[in-house]
Amino acid sequence: MAERHIFRLMLLILGVVFAFLYIPISVLVGLSFNDGGLPTAWTGFSTRWYGALLTNDDILKAAGNTLVVALFSTALSTVLGTLLAIGVEIRRRNGKWLETIIFAPMIIPDIVLAIALLSFFSLLGVKMGLHTIIVSHVVFNLAFVCAVVRARLKNFDWSIVEASGDLGASTFTTLRRVVVPVLMPAIIAGALLAFTLSVDEFIIAFFTAGAGRSSITLPMQIFAMIRFGVTPEINALATLVMAVSVVALALSQRLNKGELPGQ
Amino acid sequence: MSADRRPLLLMTPAMIWLFGLMVVPCALILVLAFFRRGLYGGIEYTWTLENLALVFDPLYFQIFLKSAGIAGLSAAIACVLGYAAAYAIAAMPRRHQPMLLFFAVLPFWSNYLVRTYAWIVLLNREGLIVNLARWVGYEGELPQMLYSEQAVVIGLVYNYLPFVILSCYAPLSRLNPEVNEASRDLGASAWTTFRRVTLPMTVPGIATGFVFVFVLSIGNFVTPALLGGGQFQMIGNLVYAQFLTANDWPFGAALSMVLIAVMLGLLMGQAVMADRASGGKGARDG
Amino acid sequence: MTHPFLSIRNVSKTFGSVRAVTDLSLDIAENEFFALLGASGSGKTTLLRMLAGFEDLTDGDILLEGSSIAELTPNRRPLNLMFQSYALFPHMTVTQNIAYGLEMDRLPKAETAARVSEILDVIQLGHLAKRKPDQLSGGQRQRVALARALVKRPKVLLLDEPLGALDKKLRSEMQLELKRLQHEFGITFIVVTHDQEEALVMADRIAIMKDGALLQVGTPHEIYENPGTRFAADFIGVMNFLPVSRTADGFAARDGSQMMSRGNAAPAGTPFVAAVRPERLRVGGTGDNSLTGEITALAYHGLDLLVHISTAIADAPVIARMTADEADGNAPVVGRQVTASWSAKDTHIFPE
Ligand SMILES: Nc1ncnc2c1ncn2[C@@H]1O[C@H](COP(=O)(O)OP(=O)(O)O)[C@@H](O)[C@H]1O
Ligand SMILES: [Mg+2]
Repeated sequence: MAERHIFRLMLLILGVVFAFLYIPISVLVGLSFNDGGLPTAWTGFSTRWYGALLTNDDILKAAGNTLVVALFSTALSTVLGTLLAIGVEIRRRNGKWLETIIFAPMIIPDIVLAIALLSFFSLLGVKMGLHTIIVSHVVFNLAFVCAVVRARLKNFDWSIVEASGDLGASTFTTLRRVVVPVLMPAIIAGALLAFTLSVDEFIIAFFTAGAGRSSITLPMQIFAMIRFGVTPEINALATLVMAVSVVALALSQRLNKGELPGQ
Repeated sequence: MSADRRPLLLMTPAMIWLFGLMVVPCALILVLAFFRRGLYGGIEYTWTLENLALVFDPLYFQIFLKSAGIAGLSAAIACVLGYAAAYAIAAMPRRHQPMLLFFAVLPFWSNYLVRTYAWIVLLNREGLIVNLARWVGYEGELPQMLYSEQAVVIGLVYNYLPFVILSCYAPLSRLNPEVNEASRDLGASAWTTFRRVTLPMTVPGIATGFVFVFVLSIGNFVTPALLGGGQFQMIGNLVYAQFLTANDWPFGAALSMVLIAVMLGLLMGQAVMADRASGGKGARDG
Repeated sequence: MTHPFLSIRNVSKTFGSVRAVTDLSLDIAENEFFALLGASGSGKTTLLRMLAGFEDLTDGDILLEGSSIAELTPNRRPLNLMFQSYALFPHMTVTQNIAYGLEMDRLPKAETAARVSEILDVIQLGHLAKRKPDQLSGGQRQRVALARALVKRPKVLLLDEPLGALDKKLRSEMQLELKRLQHEFGITFIVVTHDQEEALVMADRIAIMKDGALLQVGTPHEIYENPGTRFAADFIGVMNFLPVSRTADGFAARDGSQMMSRGNAAPAGTPFVAAVRPERLRVGGTGDNSLTGEITALAYHGLDLLVHISTAIADAPVIARMTADEADGNAPVVGRQVTASWSAKDTHIFPE
């Protein structure tokens, strides 16, 4: 019957789309293990290009910077985002403008925020560097952490907060001993998400890093490298970056039972 | 609870952060656009509409149009491919769908630069596609594939396709299959059923996908820089140049302002449409 | 040679290892109001979907006016299905929903409009013509779904639990309405239901389905008065069951008394039950068979009175149905001992 032809057509579509999605990255991953490093011929499996990364000072420096940016921005945004989420959910009757401001950093195009921050810092005469990247990353990261924690708070039993207060705990103690422990999986998931976003983020970092090479992050380093063409080292680096973000996000999603905002 | 200020206290640090580093800087762009450019790149604090007028100067406005064209083309291709993929996933047995969806979205999670770079590997003059062509025996001159408008469109489609698959899958998976069957039962062919029943009911998903791809593409700066190779400029690259090389901040701000206005207009239009689509379903027995 | 109007021949359907319909044959006449009655999961929907063309036959054939329709896609079959979920197009108004099928037939615009407004009058929804389905009540949606299928004037209209989602009062109104429409349009109706009362009220003929096969086919009267199996007897109407055992010359109740019956052929070796309808029991009267017991409860059912009698010859209370007239002269009282009797011709014997 005609329905069977339609089903075959569907399979064909899936095949084409998945090929389109996966062939480019597979080729990249494959080449990163090619001993010769060239797409012209397969000369044997090798991890030497990964080894080469370890001796490239620029890359190591950039990776170090990225780690600093990601760690600090994650720490800051996790605290701010969690507090925001708890405050917003206790308050409940939040105006539309408030919800918009909290939601905006997640959908605002990177380029807009990047330009706005660059002109802001420049006008204020702030000297730019890793610290400006960090505070800028906190802007969108705290929104993501907040969204993840809020999702968990939607079915939070507030009576345990009242019970804790009833038993004589101060607000701060209740927060520290009752609310935060219950929310911990969501907070960790949010932090992991923030960390990954920060590690991957390029445009805002690029605009707010200031002049010079001292505060180059890994994505900026990759951008600089790939502007000058294809090398086996970039293949290896790209494969590593890809693996790290996929693993971190899968972990975050596992922790938070499949609830990822904006995904 | 209304007299309780403690929740506000919890929210304050984050709100200060968002206000100081998002709201104020964005507002700043609006102001900056109306100042004059200083002689040596600084800012002269006198009001002017010149920057805004310059945006609509044919020289620059055609870059705007070109960006919109590329963004529109990318969004359209992504919607066709993404809708087809989402439709195919929704047509598979239910138990396989979560897994298919997961793998359709997985690339979206990897680094944007890396995904773009993958196409440089494929398309460059010593790249895989050229090698493949040689290997099958093609001797002639191959057209330049990298550093072209087509490469930029491919890159944009590639990067944002998973998003469209997701946004189209949502309404498709919520369709009641019996509604399709009812159409067949009343005499419609499979194609007519698709055109008159399935498609109209899933337009909101397509619109969401289109708007997001368009917005992310029109302001895109990485993909044109890497896959366009400076052959042409898109609006994002023009803005970038004003701030970082040409040092004409007010003009950069004016460009950004128009760009942001286009983006916001589209996003808000899409939000209103999505709202109306879901609002209609909510009102039962009205 | 004349052939049956709609002929279902040795049809089977399996889903993987589940046998939804097994070797089912059934002929349905033109203009018949036919009810498929069975418990949930008995294969009613599957059979209907095979008729409409949404499930391939695993085996067998379906003939309409003598020619096979089994290979036709749903849009080419002159049958229409009213779905259990109604399956209205949510993005179309009532009018657009109803007109859809006529547009597929490429009817001229004027005729389409005329037929739509005609059927809107019939279902009395003209004032809601411009509404979308989600602005209608359940009963209104049901009528739109009915109109949408009916307006095509199919040769056969298939209705899958058409009244299942309605409340009781609306349901009994619609039962008569469906009957009226079927008569007015002169279309063969096949209605699926799990409600035996509904089938008895509406149908010219009923088929009882169980585990994908037909148990019995007949008019409501035949099935009610002469159920073929214990399942059918239990499923349709209320029935009292009394365990009996085989004796040399017939059957005996638990207390050893003779149970006279209408002489059902009874295979040896299995346990048996005697079955009798409540309205066949005469409280206080005399007859071929009788029982005595204590009245444990009284319940009014409309004007009739249901008398629950606890007796030694059955585990569950036996129910006798008395009309108001009968009860007037001889009012039963809870706790009192009574005798009830009935005739041999009303006594059915089934294997347990
Ligand atoms: N698409 C299907 N896949 C697998 N099993 C099915 C399918 N449709 C129906 N069945 C099975 O077939 C049997 C009959 O179902 P159905 O025809 O829906 O019964 P009814 O309508 O009488 O309640 C049930 O056991 C049901 O689980
Ligand atoms: Mg059913």
